[in-house]
Amino acid sequence: MANYLAQFQTIKSSCDHLVIAVEDVSDLWPTIKNNFEEQLPFKRACLNNKTRNPVFVENLPAEFILTTDARLRSRFPQEQYLFWFREPYATLVLVTCEDLDEFKTILKPRLKLIVQNDEREWFIVFVSRAHPSNDQATKMAKKVYAKLEVDFSSKKRERCCKFDIHGPEANFWEDLESRIMESIRNTLDRRVQFYEDEIRKLSEQRFMPIWNFCNFFILKESLAFMFEMAHLHDDALREYDELELCYLETVNMGGKRREFGGLDHGDDQAALLNPGNKPLTQIVQDDSFREFEFRQYLFACQSKLLFKLNRPFEVASRGFPFIISFSKALAIHENILPFCMREVWVITACLALVNATNSQYNEGHVAPEIEKEFYRLQGDLYSLCRIKFLRLAYLIGYGTEIERSPVNSASLSMLPWPKPAVWPSVPDDASSEVLVKEKMILQETPRVKHFGIQRKPLPLEPTVLIREANRRRASLSAGNTSEMFDGRPAFADGSGSDVSLKTSPSNKVQAISMSRALSSPGFEGSIDRPMRLAEIFVAAEHALKQTISNPDLQKTLSSIKESEQKYMELTKGAADNYHRSWWKRHGVVLDGEIAAVCFKRGNFDLAAKSYEKVCALYAGEGWQDLLAEVLPNLAECQKILNDQAGYLSSCVRLLSLDKGLFSMKERQAFQSEVVSLAHSEMKHPVPLDVSSLITFSGNPGPPLELCDGDPGTLSVTVWSGFPDDITLDSLTLTLMATYNADEGGKLRSSTATVLKPGRNTITFPLPPQKPGSYVLGVLTGHIGHLTFRSHSFSKGGPADSDDFMSYEKPTRPILKVSKPKPLVDLSAAISSALLINEAQWIGIIAQPINYSLKGAVLHIDTGPGLKIEESHSIEIENYRNSPQSSADMANSGDARKDSSVAANKDFEQLSLHNGKIELPDWASDVTSILWIPIRAIDDKLARGSSSGAPQRQSIVDGMRTIALKLEFGTSNNQIYDRTIALHFTDPFHVSTRVADKCNDGTLLLQVTLHSQVKATLTVYDAWLDLQDGFVHARQGDGRPISGFFPLVISSTSRAGLLFSVCLGKKFAEDENKAQQDSILNIRYGIAGDRTIGAHPPVAVKLNETEGTGQDLIFRSALVLQQPVLDPCLAVGFLPLPSDGLRVGQLITMKWRVERLIDIEEKRVPQNNVEMLYEVNANSENWMIAGRKRGHVSLSTKQGSRIVISILCVPLVAGYVHPPQIVLPDIDEASVSCSPAGPHLVCVLPPALSSSFCIPA
Amino acid sequence: MIVCVAVVGYQNNPLYIQSFTDADDALKLHHIVHCSLDVVDERVNNPKKSGPPLNETFLGLLYPTENYKVYGYLTNTKVKFILVTTDLDVRDADVRNFFKRFHAVYVDAVSNPFHVPGKKITSRTFAERVSTIVKSFGLSSAG
Repeated sequence: MANYLAQFQTIKSSCDHLVIAVEDVSDLWPTIKNNFEEQLPFKRACLNNKTRNPVFVENLPAEFILTTDARLRSRFPQEQYLFWFREPYATLVLVTCEDLDEFKTILKPRLKLIVQNDEREWFIVFVSRAHPSNDQATKMAKKVYAKLEVDFSSKKRERCCKFDIHGPEANFWEDLESRIMESIRNTLDRRVQFYEDEIRKLSEQRFMPIWNFCNFFILKESLAFMFEMAHLHDDALREYDELELCYLETVNMGGKRREFGGLDHGDDQAALLNPGNKPLTQIVQDDSFREFEFRQYLFACQSKLLFKLNRPFEVASRGFPFIISFSKALAIHENILPFCMREVWVITACLALVNATNSQYNEGHVAPEIEKEFYRLQGDLYSLCRIKFLRLAYLIGYGTEIERSPVNSASLSMLPWPKPAVWPSVPDDASSEVLVKEKMILQETPRVKHFGIQRKPLPLEPTVLIREANRRRASLSAGNTSEMFDGRPAFADGSGSDVSLKTSPSNKVQAISMSRALSSPGFEGSIDRPMRLAEIFVAAEHALKQTISNPDLQKTLSSIKESEQKYMELTKGAADNYHRSWWKRHGVVLDGEIAAVCFKRGNFDLAAKSYEKVCALYAGEGWQDLLAEVLPNLAECQKILNDQAGYLSSCVRLLSLDKGLFSMKERQAFQSEVVSLAHSEMKHPVPLDVSSLITFSGNPGPPLELCDGDPGTLSVTVWSGFPDDITLDSLTLTLMATYNADEGGKLRSSTATVLKPGRNTITFPLPPQKPGSYVLGVLTGHIGHLTFRSHSFSKGGPADSDDFMSYEKPTRPILKVSKPKPLVDLSAAISSALLINEAQWIGIIAQPINYSLKGAVLHIDTGPGLKIEESHSIEIENYRNSPQSSADMANSGDARKDSSVAANKDFEQLSLHNGKIELPDWASDVTSILWIPIRAIDDKLARGSSSGAPQRQSIVDGMRTIALKLEFGTSNNQIYDRTIALHFTDPFHVSTRVADKCNDGTLLLQVTLHSQVKATLTVYDAWLDLQDGFVHARQGDGRPISGFFPLVISSTSRAGLLFSVCLGKKFAEDENKAQQDSILNIRYGIAGDRTIGAHPPVAVKLNETEGTGQDLIFRSALVLQQPVLDPCLAVGFLPLPSDGLRVGQLITMKWRVERLIDIEEKRVPQNNVEMLYEVNANSENWMIAGRKRGHVSLSTKQGSRIVISILCVPLVAGYVHPPQIVLPDIDEASVSCSPAGPHLVCVLPPALSSSFCIPA
Repeated sequence: MIVCVAVVGYQNNPLYIQSFTDADDALKLHHIVHCSLDVVDERVNNPKKSGPPLNETFLGLLYPTENYKVYGYLTNTKVKFILVTTDLDVRDADVRNFFKRFHAVYVDAVSNPFHVPGKKITSRTFAERVSTIVKSFGLSSAG
């Protein structure tokens, strides 16, 4: 059956559509052929797929072939059977007949004969040649057709249709197509069934020795081909997939060693998209096919179908793994394949796949995910191709041009060397080439990285090439060269040289000399002489020329320039495609590779752009190790491009990388670059962000708390990431207010600051800030001409280098400025009145409220009537409330001797300068009390009262104020004003009353002393200077009768003194000095605590030594009323009507004034005829209807009298004071003190008025 | 042989990378791990695709390259574990098992109260335990 393979191939190539046989019974075909063929291809076909589900196929191509055609006639039955797919799928029987008899006798038997072959799907087209105008003929045709239908159509299936040659019926073509389609469908189903049965039979024998894959293949592919002809591509694809599975399962089964293939010329070029690359007959191997060609063939068939299905994505997605797995297969057979065949095949396969899928791919026709995936696959293919290409380039000695980047190292150093059976050897005539290569190796100068960074280059080799090549080569010979090398440590070391070739020239020279040394005479000419590196390259180059059949590929490897061009093309292809996929990182990394080439070629602009992308990628995700590899390159580009801003920021980024990534020397190089650039002339000074390098934080601990308006100093920790000390010409730190967007103040350190590496503490002066809490904002400063900024807040540690994503705002406030609040309180320490007209201490309590009063100055301004006793110094002492100490002070009366106070030394004497005093330092944080000697001055003489209830002295009289102004705070910026009211009083209030009138005219005058102060008063002596008209009885000296002096009066208590006086005239020594008032003189002492109130006067305290207290004199004026024995007028209130008073009722108040004595004395000179009177009444209670004030005439004669009457209306009911009459012009003492009226009168409510009554 | 294991944080930042090669070529492994994040991202962002279900932590083979294999594992906190091996026939079950043990070790390491989440893992114990698992990985797959 395998013999049919060739035939099968030709059939396949000659026939690619369905065939419909035409049985032209009545020679009609030539006339209607055109009409029929116009209908092809079929617009809309409905076929069953393998699973018998209807599938709609559009534009199904087909061909009408007459049964008499040679193509259908000359077939052997067996062939027909085997290649059944090419047999007609329907048989169309063309008949015409115009006569019923003829039909019955001739046509019908003939048709019966034709259609008796059941295997054919047939149907009859009756062609009517009757002209429509010819009724007779038309009728006949219809009759015949009816007969035909009866005979050949069944209920189940219509097998006839009628075609009018002169104008077919409207739906004829549709009818025809559906008939044909029905036939094709049936035939297809039957054939599919047949093939399936056959395939199943064969499959069952799969594991038997007789099994022949070729047979299976022919059947399977026939089925697939049939599906393809019927445009059932999906089914065809499935057949190929199954075929592939079966092949892979059976290819290496049974232990039969088969040839792999791939040894023909041109096999290095992948044919995975070209099914017709080689005829199948060429790749037959026993009962199967060679793997190399056949797997590519299968893939090609599959991809052809996929392209037909418009699924280029699937081609790519199947293609990539196919290439990988095929590459593995190639690796297995590498020892029989040409040198580097595997790499070359992969390169061509990838490129072919990329080109084919790309050209078939229409963007936007698939879902976005698929599209991304498609580009990813393209990128993968490019990148795979790129790796293999790099490997070839390395093998022929272009390795020096390959960037030893992580991406290249990752893909190349893990990719094993090719493993040919024998490593190619140097051709005889290639010595000149070897020299060239050697020169190339020698000339190659290792690229020194910017900043003098030295890194061990990453390997591009899986193992040492020189060893690998020599080992493979030597494996032919008896000796084991690898052992030989291992035995030579010097060479073993040197053999590392093609890894470390670029490390240093000296190393390299050594390596070369080593290899030269090996080509010593002992090895000369020997087949075992190890090849030198240059020889390996030349040998590989020659071998590759043999392997590569594609001239384009050969050309790309012919020179460094060509290969670099290809390399760029591949890298760009991969990068661009990755960028359009999900795999952005892959794309960006490859951009870096492009950048490296651009850099090498001097295209720094492009290189910088690409490097920036790579750096951004690595920096963004914190891959510092990788960043450290690329960033110096970027910096170098920027330096060359004179991009100062970029260069500076790159240097800063380099400095801020993990410290372990660069050596100290390298880091110092970065810093010196920054510093030298900063101090050079920069055209455009640029701000530089050093957030990653210089970080700052407040000092740990609670924030600095300041009061509103206070300046301060703030110390900030600044972390420097520079490796050396760095001088900052200025440094500014902003403060940000939390909870509002306002920027706070700025901290400036104007002098140059030197930052040590690591932690620095910098103290800034802090100007007064608005109330609120502040966090550190931005650090700015200058290095030379360079402005830098740092936003980065470190949490008390060095900037975490892996903390790339945290530019966290500091949450902890560094400074709190409190809202204006009382910081200090000044209050008077005394609670009760002080002695007036005496030097007294006033205590001022200065109480700091959580605020230091250091350096505070107190301005004291006394109000009117108050002066500071400047002769005495001001005392300050610690204020304590302990009762003991105050008791002590009370006892001793001298605070200075208080032992506890003295021990603490919290006592000091201060002096007043220009009305201000400075508080001592010890008093800055404690509550202290200031004692200020002061004297309230009152010129008025105290007046005693005469009635029983003592009339209180008006408080206002004793009130004095003292204005205090305290300046404090760090720069005396805080001011506290307070005016303190002080209450001064006399020690006593004196009231008098006549206790008794003796018969002899002596009056006993009782003087009551009310203590006005909270202190113990001791009266030592008292005497009375009497006014005119009074003399002391018994010619006394005016001392009181009682002799119990000293008389102690405790606070707020009273004491009485009795004086006996009598009326009489003193001898007036001097008329002018005639006393109007009597004066009571009291000599007294006082014992009181200054913390409480009145106390011994200051001066006394200074002078006296024994503590007995110096006596003070208190004088008080007393009004002694002349007794009423000597009235000159008497006033009487005339009785009110007996029926009482009512509200609203008019009454007449009457007073009678009577002269008691004649006016003859000068004492009453005003007592003429006219006499002034005045009526006083409470206007709320009384309405007075008359003259309240007026003159009445009264005779000067004794006994003359007059009645003053006035109309009044009481306004309120109840007991009310009645109006009173006074005589203002006449001395009170001259008026008989009969009450001028009753104290209270009763006023009744108004009488009911009948007019208010309402009759019932 | 496992050549590299890595822990990558949820922001794709490296938390721990340890290579187990003799050569001084850790950088290329950094590159491999970094690029494999592309695949992890893709799997996470396109859960519809025929990948493992969402609640599956093991991401399976990320990278079918010719020469090495990269496996991934994604924890609930979006921390990724990446394994690079040059063994070309590794059983999924072995890798799964490896990651399970690795996860346990990782959890122990980050449970250390002195470890700052999101920062590099510097614990020496962690490194030791990881290298123990890595060593035993070869053995178990052989056995």
